[in-house]
Amino acid sequence: MFEFLLNPIYQMWIVQGLLLTVEITLFGVLLGLGLGTLLAIADIYGNRPIKVAIAVYVEFFRGSPLFVQLFLAVYTVPAILNIQIDHLFLAFLVFGLNSAAYQKGYMKGSMETILDDQMQAGLSVGMSKIQTLRHVILPQAYRIVIPSWTNEFCSLTKSTATLAFVGFRDLVGAGRSILINNMQIIPVWLVIAAIYLAWISGFSKLMDIIYEKKKIPGIELLMQ
Amino acid sequence: MADFVMEARHVYKTYGRKNAKKTKQANGDTSDGAKHVVEAVKDVSLQIKKGDIKLIFGPSGSGKSTFLRCLAMLDIPDKGEIYLGDECLTKPGVDLNKARARIGFVFQHIYLFRHLTALGNVELALRQVLKLPKEEARKRALAALAEVKVTDCANKFPAQMSGGQAQRVGIARALARNPDIILLDEPTSALDPELTGEVIDTLRDLAREGTTMLIVSHEMPFARDVAEEMIFYDEGRIVETGPPSQFFNAPNTDRAKQFMTRIINRTTRE
Repeated sequence: MFEFLLNPIYQMWIVQGLLLTVEITLFGVLLGLGLGTLLAIADIYGNRPIKVAIAVYVEFFRGSPLFVQLFLAVYTVPAILNIQIDHLFLAFLVFGLNSAAYQKGYMKGSMETILDDQMQAGLSVGMSKIQTLRHVILPQAYRIVIPSWTNEFCSLTKSTATLAFVGFRDLVGAGRSILINNMQIIPVWLVIAAIYLAWISGFSKLMDIIYEKKKIPGIELLMQ
Repeated sequence: MADFVMEARHVYKTYGRKNAKKTKQANGDTSDGAKHVVEAVKDVSLQIKKGDIKLIFGPSGSGKSTFLRCLAMLDIPDKGEIYLGDECLTKPGVDLNKARARIGFVFQHIYLFRHLTALGNVELALRQVLKLPKEEARKRALAALAEVKVTDCANKFPAQMSGGQAQRVGIARALARNPDIILLDEPTSALDPELTGEVIDTLRDLAREGTTMLIVSHEMPFARDVAEEMIFYDEGRIVETGPPSQFFNAPNTDRAKQFMTRIINRTTRE
């Protein structure tokens, strides 16, 4: 039933598919974190036009299916602009931009729980707003945001399945390729699902450990 | 050389109470909110010389804390001038971060950096603001913690300390930069009664060492022993100023008399 796993070509597809899934998830979630942080800061301190621009950005990426965004980026945008851009690069970008839209919300939320008093404390010792953000607000916000960030990671990992439908061989793409030659639908998808499960739960467990290790003592009281 | 370490000249500060406005609107009231503007500081002037210990007291909500925050430029006054030595802080273009580095501020609710240990809390500004090398910053931070007798908490996080210990770390954080003046905003009023003593003792030590301090507080025994001048503040204004003996014996104004009677009764009841 699972003999297909012994086929070296299938093995290669699966390994390459997993690598693509992992790469694009990590890249997306990290670009999302960086950009999401900047957007959160801009949303807190920016003037009205900046806030409106951010709201439009967030609504676009949260309010439409990732698959549609991916399709637009890979096929439509280069056609309209009449330029050749590497599809993989565009796909990476879409995942990062999409994740940033969610992570901006998580970062803003966790910054707002600490911003009031900690910013005053930072200013009171002579630090600038930027120094306080860097040395006081963000180190705390990042620790607080880890659980939401882990959820974002899980959700983004599963969203990478859409890559298979715009011509990439990610994990789902590998499954599809194998199925074309071998009609063992249930065993193939069971294997693909098991790999997702192992990767997501392994990484989540790691993040839980980091969260516990880095947790600010007494932060639970603040989060109530 | 300026005569005063810190001076406030005709300072005004009002703020709109957003919450009050919101509830009104939720009730369907269309008032423009102008009624809810709080005049926390109305034409307040004050001079502090080096080594002065002054104490501001008065009813809660009278604007004492806002005035103190204005002095540290944590709230920007609407009108009037704040001087730190020769430097006018209310002029546009002044580097407020640099000015605040010369002012120590102790908060009512302590506001330690939650992700840092006591040592880290004191060290941070020494490293980032004074740009001291690591070793020296550590030495000075430890000395500041020793001065307020919380050396044993050096490696504890804020949530792992008692309120009194945390507030003493807050004082050490304000002290460590050797500021020109320390402003303390009700440093004991958020603490359990049995913990105020250790913080008051710390303040007495600082007073003995000649630290320039402006303290908002209702700790009357402490005020009588330590303050050179007491300032009675009510409804955004300084109502009466004088030595502790004046307030404890016979305040000049009825309002101060009333307030002193109430506060002394409360203290003796306890």
